[in-house]
Amino acid sequence: MSFLLHLITVTCILLPTIVGYNLVFGKGKIFHFGQIGLQILAAYPLWISIVLFDQYPIMGLLLGLISAFVAAWLLAWLSFRLDPDGLGVMSIAVHLSALNVVLNWQSVTRGALGVPGIPRWSFLADNVSFAIFVIVAVSVWCVFVWLLDRSAFGRKLQALSEHDWYAEALGISRKNVHIVAFLVAAGGALLTGVLLPQYLYLLSPTDFAFPAMIFVVMCVVAGKPGSMGGAILATALLMMLKEGLRLLPLSPGVVGPVRLLLFGLILLGAVWYRRDALFPPQREI
Amino acid sequence: MGFLSIREVSLAIQGHMILDHVSFDVNQGEVVGLIGPNGSGKTTLFNLLSGFLAPTGGSIHFRGSDITNCSPSVRAQKGIGRVFQNFGIFRDMTLEENILVALEALPHEQKKLLGDMKFLVHRTLAMVGLEKSAKKKAGALSGGQMRLLEIARTLKCGKDLFLLDEPTAGVSPKMTGQVSGLIAELKREGKTVLIIEHDLPFIGRICDRVIVLDVGKVVLEGTPDEVKQSKELQEIYFGADPTT
Repeated sequence: MSFLLHLITVTCILLPTIVGYNLVFGKGKIFHFGQIGLQILAAYPLWISIVLFDQYPIMGLLLGLISAFVAAWLLAWLSFRLDPDGLGVMSIAVHLSALNVVLNWQSVTRGALGVPGIPRWSFLADNVSFAIFVIVAVSVWCVFVWLLDRSAFGRKLQALSEHDWYAEALGISRKNVHIVAFLVAAGGALLTGVLLPQYLYLLSPTDFAFPAMIFVVMCVVAGKPGSMGGAILATALLMMLKEGLRLLPLSPGVVGPVRLLLFGLILLGAVWYRRDALFPPQREI
Repeated sequence: MGFLSIREVSLAIQGHMILDHVSFDVNQGEVVGLIGPNGSGKTTLFNLLSGFLAPTGGSIHFRGSDITNCSPSVRAQKGIGRVFQNFGIFRDMTLEENILVALEALPHEQKKLLGDMKFLVHRTLAMVGLEKSAKKKAGALSGGQMRLLEIARTLKCGKDLFLLDEPTAGVSPKMTGQVSGLIAELKREGKTVLIIEHDLPFIGRICDRVIVLDVGKVVLEGTPDEVKQSKELQEIYFGADPTT
């Protein structure tokens, strides 16, 4: 029962960032891999200011929000100045730079040790109430993104992803749409960044390493890029697989590599199967 | 200054002159044909007018204001609509969504005047006989239907200047008549049209004036009859007559 509760909680915690990333990468076909970078830039200012600098939670939240939104704006800015390959590489650079800062700026971030003692709100002290809160908060977030996806904004994003020239010729501003999409993704990263360290009582840089980004990409690709329901289902199934591996009678030294190998194969298969959705043939004007 | 004014517009890419000091005016309500052999710079000129390329020299004015440095979306919001050669519709979206997304991209003040968008969407589809396919993906349409949908969408989106890039390309002869009918409707509504076309009889039927481009320069300008009878046009399209 406690494993099931854990599975539901961690799946729900990851959903905001995955759903946000699905909007940008899946629906918008904006080739960026900086979602976990956004999460670092949301979670670290938030929790460091609260735990290490004794700031009020609201102040920490504000700091995390500003930091995530500035990073999102930077990625959006890069998205309309670089070609897709360039953006892909640059967004990985943004992620790794942010990760390197938190790993090496030890006087502030405590480096690889992470920040222990992340407090939970008093009403979320036990895991059941925490899980209920997470389910409610994440459901509200998902409904918000779903409504956005079905709104004029969603149609504009889809039109731009299909052919940016055709869309811009109708008066759709690529800049505005990309900025909103990245801000939503940053909002998702912030929500995950608020919930995950509270659940673990720890802000750990290993949760923001590159394999975490691979997992996010895998959930979006396997669930059909752009499909919110698909991304949610894929996240649930892949999380079940990821956490389920812990139950196998394997030594901890073997579980990690097996998981990476398995996820590598799943990603390879998903990208191959979804190649037309991910890399649609460019239409001529 | 005309409704659309192109002054000394040039475009050079890696030292190669694609457009060379092109100048002409288009007056309000006029239908102007832009013809010339392949590679003469017609579509490039359209790309400059819609803002997808920036000229290396010269200026473009629309309704008296300089739009040379405006982005494509700003130009569209100012009233320049474009119909692309390879069907500028979104094939993964339904027909309904194709119209809706265009209406939603209009400036706020214009949107307020539209009234019920759903009604307008269905009226636009009905205009080209596609109302029964409203929920179908646009990718399932024939070339002619895609073209009709694209022109109707541009027409209903309150554009004042239409840039039509080979509207009869990929369209069956039967549908060409319908496309021609839609362009005639644009004319009746007082819209200004600049049209690229290789079909000279088609140009002759619908245009008030024809401009001929060759190797990036305007080489001829006049009424369709004047242009058709000119020796220069014969030379451009068929080469110099060896007997003369």
